[in-house]
Amino acid sequence: MKSKPIQPFASNSKRWVNLICSGVLTLGLAAGCAGTGEKAGSSGNTGEKAGTDKPYKLSIALRQVGDIPAKGNEVEQAIEKYTNTELAIQWIPQAAFDDKINVMIASNELPQILKVNYVPNVMNAARNGLFWELGPYLKDYPNLTAQDQRYYDNIKIDGKLFGIPNYRDIGRAAVVYRKDWFDQAGLSLPVTMDDWYNVMKAFSENDPDGNGKQDSYGTMLFKNYNAGTQPVITRLAVSIGGVNRWGEEDGKFTPEFKTQPYMDVLQLFRKLYADKLINQDFAVYDVTELDKAMYDGRVGMRLNVSAQNVQGYSTAMKDTIPSAEWDIAPFAGPDGPRIAGEPGNFGFLAIPKSAVKDEAELKRVLTFLDKLMDEPMSTLQMRGIEGKHYELVDGTKTKYTDFALFQREVKPYRDGLLNIEGYNVPELEDTPIALKGTKMARENIQYAVPNPALTLNSPTYNERGVELDLIIRDAETKYIMGQIDDAGFQAEVDKWAKAGGDAVVKEYESSFVELGG
Amino acid sequence: MNAQIRTTGSSSSSPSKSTLGKERVSRRSEWLRELIKDKWMYAMLLPGVLFFIIFKYVPMYGVIIAFQDYQPFQGVLGSSWAGLKHFERFFSEPQFWQLFRNTLLLAIYNIVFFFPLPIVLALMLNEVRIERFKRFVQTMIYIPHFVSWVVVVGVFYIILTTEGGIINEMLFALTGHKIAFLLEPSWFRTIIISQSIWKEVGWGTIIFLAALSGVDVQLYEAARIDGANRLRQLWHITLPAIRSTIVILLILRLGTFLDSGFEHIFLMLTPTNRDVGEVFDTYVYVKGLTQAQYSYSAAVGLFKSFIGLILVLGANWMAKKFGQEGVY
Amino acid sequence: MSREQSYVRVDNTLGNKLFDGANIIVLTIIALVTVLPFIYILAVSFTSPEEAAKGGFILFPKSFSLSAYQYIFSTDTLMRSLLVSIYVTTLGTAINLLLTCLMAYPLAKQTLRGRQPILMAVLFTMLFSGGLIPTYFVVSGMGLTNTLWSLMIPNAISAFNLIVLKNFFQQIPDGLEDSARIDGCTDVGVLFRIVIPLSMPAIATFGMFYAVSHWNQFFSAIIYINDSDKWPVQVLLREIVILAQSRIGDTGFDETAIQPQTIRMAVIVFATIPILLVYPFLQKHFAKGVMLGSVKG
Repeated sequence: MKSKPIQPFASNSKRWVNLICSGVLTLGLAAGCAGTGEKAGSSGNTGEKAGTDKPYKLSIALRQVGDIPAKGNEVEQAIEKYTNTELAIQWIPQAAFDDKINVMIASNELPQILKVNYVPNVMNAARNGLFWELGPYLKDYPNLTAQDQRYYDNIKIDGKLFGIPNYRDIGRAAVVYRKDWFDQAGLSLPVTMDDWYNVMKAFSENDPDGNGKQDSYGTMLFKNYNAGTQPVITRLAVSIGGVNRWGEEDGKFTPEFKTQPYMDVLQLFRKLYADKLINQDFAVYDVTELDKAMYDGRVGMRLNVSAQNVQGYSTAMKDTIPSAEWDIAPFAGPDGPRIAGEPGNFGFLAIPKSAVKDEAELKRVLTFLDKLMDEPMSTLQMRGIEGKHYELVDGTKTKYTDFALFQREVKPYRDGLLNIEGYNVPELEDTPIALKGTKMARENIQYAVPNPALTLNSPTYNERGVELDLIIRDAETKYIMGQIDDAGFQAEVDKWAKAGGDAVVKEYESSFVELGG
Repeated sequence: MNAQIRTTGSSSSSPSKSTLGKERVSRRSEWLRELIKDKWMYAMLLPGVLFFIIFKYVPMYGVIIAFQDYQPFQGVLGSSWAGLKHFERFFSEPQFWQLFRNTLLLAIYNIVFFFPLPIVLALMLNEVRIERFKRFVQTMIYIPHFVSWVVVVGVFYIILTTEGGIINEMLFALTGHKIAFLLEPSWFRTIIISQSIWKEVGWGTIIFLAALSGVDVQLYEAARIDGANRLRQLWHITLPAIRSTIVILLILRLGTFLDSGFEHIFLMLTPTNRDVGEVFDTYVYVKGLTQAQYSYSAAVGLFKSFIGLILVLGANWMAKKFGQEGVY
Repeated sequence: MSREQSYVRVDNTLGNKLFDGANIIVLTIIALVTVLPFIYILAVSFTSPEEAAKGGFILFPKSFSLSAYQYIFSTDTLMRSLLVSIYVTTLGTAINLLLTCLMAYPLAKQTLRGRQPILMAVLFTMLFSGGLIPTYFVVSGMGLTNTLWSLMIPNAISAFNLIVLKNFFQQIPDGLEDSARIDGCTDVGVLFRIVIPLSMPAIATFGMFYAVSHWNQFFSAIIYINDSDKWPVQVLLREIVILAQSRIGDTGFDETAIQPQTIRMAVIVFATIPILLVYPFLQKHFAKGVMLGSVKG
């Protein structure tokens, strides 16, 4: 990394370690390059000549997702060439991501670009001036400016922008369902709570998979079914007119669990549970087990995933259950589609002041980030290298030739850097359902209901938010399982209010006013 | 002191003891003389002592963040002081007594049910006379130690679930009803301890097997001639031989008395068993890492360590009272 | 000689035979119960992804497949990290044993001045620690970050192992050491020529404890080492296994690359087998009666 270069190897044994490592690495690189030499250079990097300017040295720390790319690989080289930089990318494993970020902050060993999550320690750091505020500069960068303002609003801290989000579709929530089951049963997608109950009943009692056993479910719940950014209860509540976590009216804030649509959904699941139309062990059911049940053809709908997931399910089940036909639809209630909007990012890229000293350098880093969204770079991140990962069809469309290789070699950059499907990237030639998924995720932002409290500041929530959320998460589950009744649920809500919930409401309200309503 | 060492009858016979009585020397020069005499001993201690100073005691200043409002970017020296604020908050949390009770019960269960098992198992293995079978069993039972908690919990789910788990299918066939082992609060501690036993008991035997290898086989010969059966041999020869190891391990275990194994518990918590399952470690995790309450979680950690210290000192004192060597 | 003696210590009476029989049956059951889940892991790793995706408790792959292992070996990442693990474990354990023996031996001498305060100070570090960040500063201040030394030096001595080893050393009769001293050995000589050879079961045990803790470490590697080429295999294993489960420390995003279950299990097998092999290899040092047998003999 920039501030802590690899220590010089002092002793003989250290040199030995180095030797072994670099030896193995060299072998690896040699093996990796052998097959690619013939096709290198055809990646369409026509953008910028690596001209007279010396490449700018740029250190980046990203969260590791999946495979660790080899150093100096083709993708990295292509980025370096186009942006005229010399990259040093550090991958931080998920297993200790937050710890590592804390250590880097505490020891001031920060790179020029740091991937962070929207979590309290990062927010504290930003408030205390650790990162550059980017709001005033954004307008000079055409690609960054071209993105929907909501992406930026959703990562603001006290109304200020401290990073560029790893863009994700805000309206990607969708019901992913087995079309063949619905067709066979002559049902249409549920709209009201009664519809939901009927569909769930039909799918678990009428043996839609035709194996003679009552082993299927309309949908299954799992551990943490209502936590995170893809919550099942909240999504359904929003579809029938509810709020996305928080409701705001004339500056007054109401948590979802004090609204009727939310309670309607809870009652639906309570009834489903009592009638054994939903898995009875959901409170300990891991979501990976749910995946298995789904691949085994025992699940009719997924409510906790994104529209894009439909493609993966279709391909995975093509051979095992050929009759399985997947389709997607936005969550919709009696008033049409209504979707719980997601934050629209996968963390954001912050620029630490300690590594980027002045405005001139900041502009250089922002130029790099902006260039990542130029067409050649967008294509590189989302399609890979032409001839290796994808090919051109009809001169305009792209088609993956080796998706597995793409997953290994390109996906880490796609997930960690800046890009979004539909912006500066040639269209993909794919199965109709895959294209439908991509399109739906992108376009359904129009139906997205935002969480009005997403970026509001509440010291109480920062201090005990997880605890407060847990009170409600536990109450939801106990209510569905019939362990507590309405009065019991109300008691838990009161407990929440007393434990800090009331203070959170007040703080959100005043923060809302401060940020200009 | 160990039993059979006592039987050898050799008290410490280093020469210093005899010289001590003969000459009256000033304490200072006596000290110096021993230092010179034991120079190699001290030389051997040096690397270890340096290690503990550098890597354990130099960073020790970090405990003061429990008395601060620590922020990573301000550092330990730059963060503002908070006095006993975090301790006061911890002790006045509505959950405090529940957490304390849960943690304590789990710890006691662990000591009572888990701690003796590796000893029993080691003794059983020690009685096996077919060497190859013994090695085979040893190798099998230590494997689960290498399986991470995530996988262990996953496997237990597959076995115990009410939706097609083997145990519940059998239970249903026999009794006509199922038990939600993973959801019922009343089963929580039993399951946790069972999982710990399953995962770690084989691993725990290793140290006792090493201790057992030190038993003088001639003592068995003698006992056999005296007509002692195997249980009596076990009681009078084998057990005394590993007593000091047992005592040491128990004392050291008490130091981490309130550690519940965060990852394990965290994975087993559900909304329905949280009232009995939430312990200090899971509570602190939520506070510390996900909410950046570093000082607060440090304060809780310090509290736990302090309890551990009292227990260790107490246990060591007791051990010495009963004629055991103890830790120091 | 002592081993033969251990075999003849009981008569073949009926009672003894019953005792032995029951003992063997119980131990066999225990062995099976403990190893079953590992067989499950092994079986899944050799199952075709399609079959494994459906779930269930597989003990024998119905559709045998090597695809998971092919995937693992299709890049050199895992192989490289395995070499790092082996290197760190071997060298690290050697350092551990040397330093621990050197320190434990003097501490086992009850007459040594300063022994008690040192032991108390060591014990204290088992209970109190300065935490991650102050330790990081020490490690980085010594220039160890980004080198494999950061995985070996900061944990060179485990207080637990030190105290227990000291206890083992204490049980060696002094007479033997004294006779060596009379023969002109220094204390260092006594340690290496008498005490350590007599304590092989204990040394083997603590060697294994150290080796396993080196093998299992992933956290320090993530904290101290930025260069992914130097990560031990546990970092990758952890990443793959953790990503798949409902994650600890989840920030609420769904798009982690969940590997098929077969690959996860294959990685577990790949990362566990090497360290599993250590114990059977060490078992010859656990033979009964070695120490005192030779003292008397």
